[in-house]
Amino acid sequence: MIAKNRAFPGGYRFKHFQGRPQDKLIKAAIPAMVTIPLMQGFGDEVAAVVGADDKVAAGQTIGRDDESISSPVHSSVNGKVVNIGKIDYLGNETTAITIESDGTEGWQSLEGCSAAWDNLSIEQIEKLVYLSGASGAGRDGIPTGFNSSIISPDEVENVIIHGVESEMFAVSSGLLLKDDNLSHFAEGTKILRKMLPHAAFSIALNSECKSLITDVSGALADNDWCDVRGLEPRYPADYDEVLVSAVLGREFPVGHLAANIGVIVLDIQAVLAVYDAVVAGKAVIERTIALAGPGFKENLHISARVGSPVQHIIDGMVKQDADLRFLRNSCLTGEALSDLSMPADRTCGAIIAVVEGNNREMFAFVRPGPRKDSYSRTFLSLLFGSEKITKLCETNLRGEERPCISCNYCVEVCPVSLMPHLLFRHVEREIIDEKLLKYGIYDCIECNLCTYVCPSKITLGQWIKDGKAKLIDEGLPCPQPKFALKGLEEDEDAK
Amino acid sequence: MKVIRSLLDKLYEVPGLQRYKPIIGAADAILYGTNETTHAAPHVVDNIDIKRYMSFVILALLPAVAASVYFFGFRVIAIIMVSYMAGGAVEVIFAMVGKHDIHEGFLITGLIFPLVLPPTCPLWVVAIGVVFGTMFGKEMFGGTGRNIFNPALVGRLFITIAFPAIMSANWQQPFDYSLETDATTVATPLGKYKSTAMAGEVNPTVVEFKEDEANKQVLFTSAAAVEKCTLNPESKFDGVKIYCVGNGAYKKAAKHKRIEESNLTRLFSYGDLLVGKEPGSMGETCRIVIILGGIFLMFAKVSNWRIPVSYLGTVFVLALVGHRFLPQDIAPPVFQIFAGGLMFGAMFMATDPITSPFTKAGKYCFGVSCGVLTVLIRSFTGYVEGVMFSIVIMNAFTPLIDQIVLMFKYRPAKT
Ligand code: SF4
Ligand code: SF4
Repeated sequence: MIAKNRAFPGGYRFKHFQGRPQDKLIKAAIPAMVTIPLMQGFGDEVAAVVGADDKVAAGQTIGRDDESISSPVHSSVNGKVVNIGKIDYLGNETTAITIESDGTEGWQSLEGCSAAWDNLSIEQIEKLVYLSGASGAGRDGIPTGFNSSIISPDEVENVIIHGVESEMFAVSSGLLLKDDNLSHFAEGTKILRKMLPHAAFSIALNSECKSLITDVSGALADNDWCDVRGLEPRYPADYDEVLVSAVLGREFPVGHLAANIGVIVLDIQAVLAVYDAVVAGKAVIERTIALAGPGFKENLHISARVGSPVQHIIDGMVKQDADLRFLRNSCLTGEALSDLSMPADRTCGAIIAVVEGNNREMFAFVRPGPRKDSYSRTFLSLLFGSEKITKLCETNLRGEERPCISCNYCVEVCPVSLMPHLLFRHVEREIIDEKLLKYGIYDCIECNLCTYVCPSKITLGQWIKDGKAKLIDEGLPCPQPKFALKGLEEDEDAK
Repeated sequence: MKVIRSLLDKLYEVPGLQRYKPIIGAADAILYGTNETTHAAPHVVDNIDIKRYMSFVILALLPAVAASVYFFGFRVIAIIMVSYMAGGAVEVIFAMVGKHDIHEGFLITGLIFPLVLPPTCPLWVVAIGVVFGTMFGKEMFGGTGRNIFNPALVGRLFITIAFPAIMSANWQQPFDYSLETDATTVATPLGKYKSTAMAGEVNPTVVEFKEDEANKQVLFTSAAAVEKCTLNPESKFDGVKIYCVGNGAYKKAAKHKRIEESNLTRLFSYGDLLVGKEPGSMGETCRIVIILGGIFLMFAKVSNWRIPVSYLGTVFVLALVGHRFLPQDIAPPVFQIFAGGLMFGAMFMATDPITSPFTKAGKYCFGVSCGVLTVLIRSFTGYVEGVMFSIVIMNAFTPLIDQIVLMFKYRPAKT
């Protein structure tokens, strides 16, 4: 069933940037050493269940906590634990387990998996999914009977599976669903449905990949609980907040999670992980990561063991003579990876290498700009942009910071209809009061699109974030939504 | 090019030049662009910057500048240069005192201001106007982005009030490149219309010639009005002076047997208005390039269509209705749209994002109010032109309009 969807306001199409990953998948070598942070994605840090010098197998659970909301983590290689200690991981101090690998490929499968999964009981499936560590890469897990989400399986009303690729660079859905994976994906979806029998499933794909949509809806035909739809890949279409309203037409509980209104948002890799767990007994020990951006010799996808150092994943793929900045997952919201020895965990979907644009350019502001991207229509890239003439992707600011001129670009692109410049003006002048609430500051989903388009180079997204923090300091936290929320007690307990 | 680069780098170091840093910085930024990079997410940003944004306005104005040079001679260039130099000096001084970068806004002010002046304007008046406008229209409010009024309009308003003689009577006939101002001045189309309409009847259904009315004159604004009047057997045109607006009315009247050619005058044709063969301010006469420039800006997303469309639309509708009932006072709609500074004002001055409302509803409100004010001032006051006044008045109301729109928009406090 192919369904229609509601459009969201604003947004921006990132088209034809240089360094888009090709639909080509290679396998990374088994790393000599992996570092597995005990907190990956959502939930709390889990406790280590192995000790130093223990021998571990790939797929073996090494961290687990059934009491708090979390999902277990696994060793991704066969080898020996060499260290359990704190690391500074993406700005947080996190415990991590370092494992020395013996270089072998094999992995240990989960107990009780079965290709004839229909014969398994729901409890057995839930256990497999929980133990495999499969989760939405975002902010929530897959509800099971094991505290892997703030809501219980019964409370799930909708599941959204997305592969819209609205970011400048994203893992190609077409690649993830190639060949056998298409049927695996369909099976995975059916397994999820068996676990969450009350939920309606929506699969949102890039509306430009027509054949993919046809394939997926064909694979899932005759299931009236599931609809497949194309969503325009307009950033930030794959944000939970946008998906919930665009796909379901429901209001997002601002300041909470989609799960609080009974919606679970998953990506394609999560569904494939569910299939792997239940049918093959494979825990989440591998991720498909896109190597995007102009800094790579070739832009493709690489399947690497979770916890491999970034350095190991990109080894030999990077252009040598360029001054590069490495980003995790997103050019707009991702963190810069300053330390390449840090691991890529199971929430990592892309490693992006952009060129540090610290070169000056003669008369930059009057150049025709056939390769320069802009929201405004003042560059020739508007006419030229194509797969052949790709747009540059570098970190130069291309202008000086200036006062706001009320050009309204930020207002036009904001996906939640805020007026970023209005919020900015208040925060800048230290007017931190109810007005900010009234202007909807907490509705901001921090997509950073407003900062992207601003001709005055004002870091609006950052100002708004700061404004939120200051508001909380002032004792004006985000107001509760008017409708009832699920899973709040659990949420409180977790804190 | 390396020479300039190293020269600039050296200049930054010279201790005595620290005070002039804004100038060096501006030259540097214009020549070489920036080497600054993003610090945090978003790591990649849009390529547009204020320089490019502003230069697009200038790009859109260039055809109008070329047209005004074509119609009014090379003196236009001299005026623009004086305007840039005087305005730029103010901007630089304020940047040095305030120790901030030189902002690009004056590039637009410095060009728009001369374009709304009469071509005969003395250079010293140009300088005074632009200095006043930049200073009191912009810098006093804290510079670009904080100003309430359009600086070019403030300057123009100031010299209109300070030097009324220079500003109201001296209109140079296009293609008359001689500068003997007294000999060549003529009235603008709006002025001609106003004085003609005042002196006689407008669109009468019947014309009667009486002996005691020696200089009776009649103004027709459309072919239909001419037809109606001439079809009336009672009409007698002997000795009555007939004026016509536009070619349509003129041809119709000329064909009529009872109207003598010698008594018939065409005030102007719409075609001439459109291409700019009628007197007016330097940049505002060639409407066709102004329209094209305006559309170009809207397409480039540099200006917003809401204000021009609502502004021009309001003037049209008001004039359409008003001309029907008060032809004596209110000029016909198409003429109003293409006469005076309306097109230029609507396309390039009312759209200034800084001094017009940022809310959508506010933009419509701004455009409609400007339209109403323009028609009112043109029709019912001693002034011939009302565009400048209406935009400045509405500039003053802009913050209020935005406040009110925001109040409605966010009324039910989101809880
Ligand atoms: S995009 Fe920048 S300059 Fe434009 S209105 Fe927003 S904050 Fe102001
Ligand atoms: S960061 Fe916030 S304010 Fe800016 S565009 Fe995104 S949602 Fe809107």
